[in-house]
Amino acid sequence: MTDMPLPQTGRAGARTKGSLLQADSRTRRRNAAEKRFRAYGVTAIAIAILALVFLLTTIIRDGASAFRQTYLSIPVTLDAEILDPQGNRDVAEMSRVLTLGYGRVLDAALDRSIGSLELNIPGLSEGDVDGIVSREASAQLRQRVLNDPELVGQTVELNVLVNGRIDGYFKGRVTMASAERDSNVSPQQLLLADALAERGLLVTRFNREFITNPDASDQRPEAAGIGVAIIGSVYMMLVVLFLAVPIGVAASIYLEEFAPKNRITDIIEVNISNLAAVPSIVFGILGLAVFINFAGLPQSAPIVGGLVLTLMTLPTIIIATRAALKAVPPSIRDAALGVGASKMQSVFHHVLPLAMPGILTGTIIGLAQALGETAPLLLIGMVAFVREYPGGPPEGLFDPASALPVQVYNWTQRSDPAFVERASGAIIVLLIFLLCMNLLAVYLRRRFERRW
Amino acid sequence: MPLSWALLASLALAAAGYMVGRSRAFASAGADSRTLHSRPTYHGMSVALLALIPALVIMVLGALARMTGLLSAEAGGVVGLLALGAAVIGLGIGVSRINAGFMARNAVEKIVLGFLIFCSTIAIATTLGIILSLVFETGNFFSQYDWRAFFFGTEFVPRFEGNSRLGVLPLLWGTLYISFIALLVAVPIGLFGAIYLSEYAGPRTRSLAKPVIEVLAGIPTIVYGLFALVTVGPMLRDAIAQPLGLGSSASSVMTAGLVMGIMLIPFVSSLSDDIINAVPQSLRDGALGLGSTPSETIKQVVLPAALPGIVGAVLLAASRAIGETMIVVLGAGAAATLSLNPFEAMTTITVKIVSQLTGDNDFSSPETLVAFALGLTLFVITLCLNIVALIIVRKYREQYE
Amino acid sequence: MYDTTRTESAVSQQDIKISARNVQVYYGDKHALKDVNVDIQDKTVTAFIGPSGCGKSTFLRCINRMNDTIDIASVKGEIRLDGEDIYDRRVDPVQLRAKVGMVFQKPNPFPKSIYDNVAYGPRIHGLSRNKAELDEIVEKSLRGAALWNEVKDRLAEPGTGLSGGQQQRLCIARAVATAPEVLLMDEPCSALDPIATGQVEELIDQLREQFSVVIVTHSMQQAARVSQKTAFFHLGNLVEYGATDDIFTKPQDSRTEAYISGRIG
Repeated sequence: MTDMPLPQTGRAGARTKGSLLQADSRTRRRNAAEKRFRAYGVTAIAIAILALVFLLTTIIRDGASAFRQTYLSIPVTLDAEILDPQGNRDVAEMSRVLTLGYGRVLDAALDRSIGSLELNIPGLSEGDVDGIVSREASAQLRQRVLNDPELVGQTVELNVLVNGRIDGYFKGRVTMASAERDSNVSPQQLLLADALAERGLLVTRFNREFITNPDASDQRPEAAGIGVAIIGSVYMMLVVLFLAVPIGVAASIYLEEFAPKNRITDIIEVNISNLAAVPSIVFGILGLAVFINFAGLPQSAPIVGGLVLTLMTLPTIIIATRAALKAVPPSIRDAALGVGASKMQSVFHHVLPLAMPGILTGTIIGLAQALGETAPLLLIGMVAFVREYPGGPPEGLFDPASALPVQVYNWTQRSDPAFVERASGAIIVLLIFLLCMNLLAVYLRRRFERRW
Repeated sequence: MPLSWALLASLALAAAGYMVGRSRAFASAGADSRTLHSRPTYHGMSVALLALIPALVIMVLGALARMTGLLSAEAGGVVGLLALGAAVIGLGIGVSRINAGFMARNAVEKIVLGFLIFCSTIAIATTLGIILSLVFETGNFFSQYDWRAFFFGTEFVPRFEGNSRLGVLPLLWGTLYISFIALLVAVPIGLFGAIYLSEYAGPRTRSLAKPVIEVLAGIPTIVYGLFALVTVGPMLRDAIAQPLGLGSSASSVMTAGLVMGIMLIPFVSSLSDDIINAVPQSLRDGALGLGSTPSETIKQVVLPAALPGIVGAVLLAASRAIGETMIVVLGAGAAATLSLNPFEAMTTITVKIVSQLTGDNDFSSPETLVAFALGLTLFVITLCLNIVALIIVRKYREQYE
Repeated sequence: MYDTTRTESAVSQQDIKISARNVQVYYGDKHALKDVNVDIQDKTVTAFIGPSGCGKSTFLRCINRMNDTIDIASVKGEIRLDGEDIYDRRVDPVQLRAKVGMVFQKPNPFPKSIYDNVAYGPRIHGLSRNKAELDEIVEKSLRGAALWNEVKDRLAEPGTGLSGGQQQRLCIARAVATAPEVLLMDEPCSALDPIATGQVEELIDQLREQFSVVIVTHSMQQAARVSQKTAFFHLGNLVEYGATDDIFTKPQDSRTEAYISGRIG
């Protein structure tokens, strides 16, 4: 009878009898440890939330001003002798006059209208006056005149972009003190800008061109926009949508509904879950080696970007779709088979429609991931400087374009601090797109969520 | 583009084939369409597929041949004609097959099944593509550059004029150092966050905090990169590195590691959340029933039970950190240094892949090809981490299923 | 064995370990337990029987405040342990649960060694001053749970490797090691085979010498075998409470009779 309880003799295990109403010192100590532990948890959550808030506020603080831009409104006399020496308003002839000629026209107009204001700014040189408008302004004027040759000879009221530093002055990025040290802007120019703003000639207003313009060169941050990048991103998303979704859904249906349980299926499954964790840059190397070097597709083309992102998104879509298919109870399949439907019919007529909300949600999240992806696109030449809008699809898919996140990267590599504002602005646009996609996913999940 | 015309024509043929097949099926059934083995739509589909598939196959093969230079551009028209011919023949065969007893549904389903199988092999093809392209170009690299100098070299100095030193060690060091700091940030925060949300927080806190953390997961890495470049880097430099005399660079291991850590918080917390929730409630009850406090229950019962799963999650997070590109490109710097100072700029494998492969590439020079060797190194490291992590996590789940 | 000379009338006030008055339990809107009044004696096995969903487990979980861990549960009324209201604001449930141990329906050994499973309670409550004392507690508890001979050579092996019946006895040893005054058992044999059930029942009979044991059971036979007092619950009400022999031979309430004769439940 060794299993009989030992007599309660030793002190070990004995407990001092105390009232429940008073916590003993050990319990108090343990409760303090409990409180500390909880505090760690609260701190962790607080750090995560604060990090998010800090991240978003800095991006918005830096980027909000990208949506506002400073313009100068001046009357410009489009001198026919400079712009159309032949005098026949022939566009082909006129396009021989380069941007430089329009610059002279613009400079003359500036000197005239600012001279007429009789401002008294000591040390203000003619170069200072000409320098307050953007270098892009003459190119924009040329484009406008070539589109409408009849303007030549007239005097038109123009809204021209001002130089990025002057724009920065109105956004608080440039100050008198920083202008002293800056070779690109002088304090006199800022005084002039102040005077012009006082007279209402210089206004800061909503910047539609930021959304529509293509990128601009290093020296002209004020003209840079995300138009080409948005088109490129949209094209790539179309490619992903048309390739990744059908392929992903088809693969999931096979693996979940038809595949025999054998070694090959096992390998495919392990392979897919590993592929989901392969660093995105490796997909970029794959795209460079296979699509560009081997298949000879053009660099910087949305089709290549789309293909790379498709391969990258496939595992995500497959994993989400399989989860959605798995959630459809087997009784539905049995019911369809029971009335004489073929296996294929039961899947396509019953299981797939029921799994659709889950599939859509997973797809949208996969697309959102693809939209924000940058690294693989750098390797397939999307960093190239692209000023031309790509053509319409499908041929446009082969034209060079940029992509939103790559455009952001591009701008971070430039020295002018005005590009930080542009990059942050582009991120705001990107985040708005992502937010919409995620809200749509949440809406679909809520609207069609089904519980069995 | 003659191929696109051929494509359109084949599609039109397929559509016509569908209509013809359907009406033929009706006609062959006579008065009673119930005598048909398959519904007329399946007859239509079988004809359409028979017309379309051979044409598509020919066109895809033709396009591939043209890309690889086996065919000249002018041959495109011939390919288009061939494809069109195949479509017509397919259509003819398809229509002639139709009679009341023809098992059109089974034929169509076989084709669809074939398509499904084809799609599920694309994942395998992708992996093969990755491995082949990496191995092939790495082979090229090692034929020009000594592999010992690559694996054991302590300097990474590519020069365009040649005679570069391309040792992987400083890059590996930077990668691991940054990942280590990132995990140091992400694992405690993510783990404690997940514990708090799953064991303590009320439904209201949970419904508020969880989406916020998920938002952190949905932010693209380029955004974190910009955050590191514009905000965190200068902040760390001005507040810590310069006053302490540890360096004057805004890009540093600490900058990149810190920001990457923030990026990984939701990753760690959602994985740990799953794993902690997989620990059966009966174990918690057992501990609480013996009079342990909730924190004792977590520390002494839940966490030890969840440990393998959490180790797996940390490995997955490490693999993420090692493969992360944009944050280090913008936050870590470009100089390959072997140093212990976390406020010094260092560089990683991914940064050098980007810098060696962007711009004009000369695919015969070791300076470009080294990127593929780096890519292969990265792929092998992350693959090993992923496989080990997946095995651990899978074993762990089976234990509680 | 059981001291049959002690009769119902001889129970003095001192023998009452737990007394419940007007206990109500709500799960959200659901009124799960209605107005339960009961006195549970020390050094006695009390069985709670009744059809599933009748509230017997709910009441059991009230006695060591395990219902606190369920967000939507709320408990009203008064439960006194040795005259002290356990739902008093000053009472720490952690301290309470050390006094009122619990064994669950499914064996739930921690994924630790057999030794660590048993030593868990003494460690967190600081019942031993050194390793030797802890060893002593572990051995005593395992002997108490009639498991010592089976496991003494493999104390370092994981508790999850034992058979179902052994696991449940390990859980009992774990609860005993904490030196409780009351031992609550929620259908402790429902996951066990008949042989293991027999061993656990024998054990329960031995435990009565040290503790007040409250056992929830589905099986009327089991209640008849192990308990001295029986309470019958039905639809959240405590229908009848009395000496086990009386409940099974001459039930006062028609519902009790119907349940015992197999017409409800």
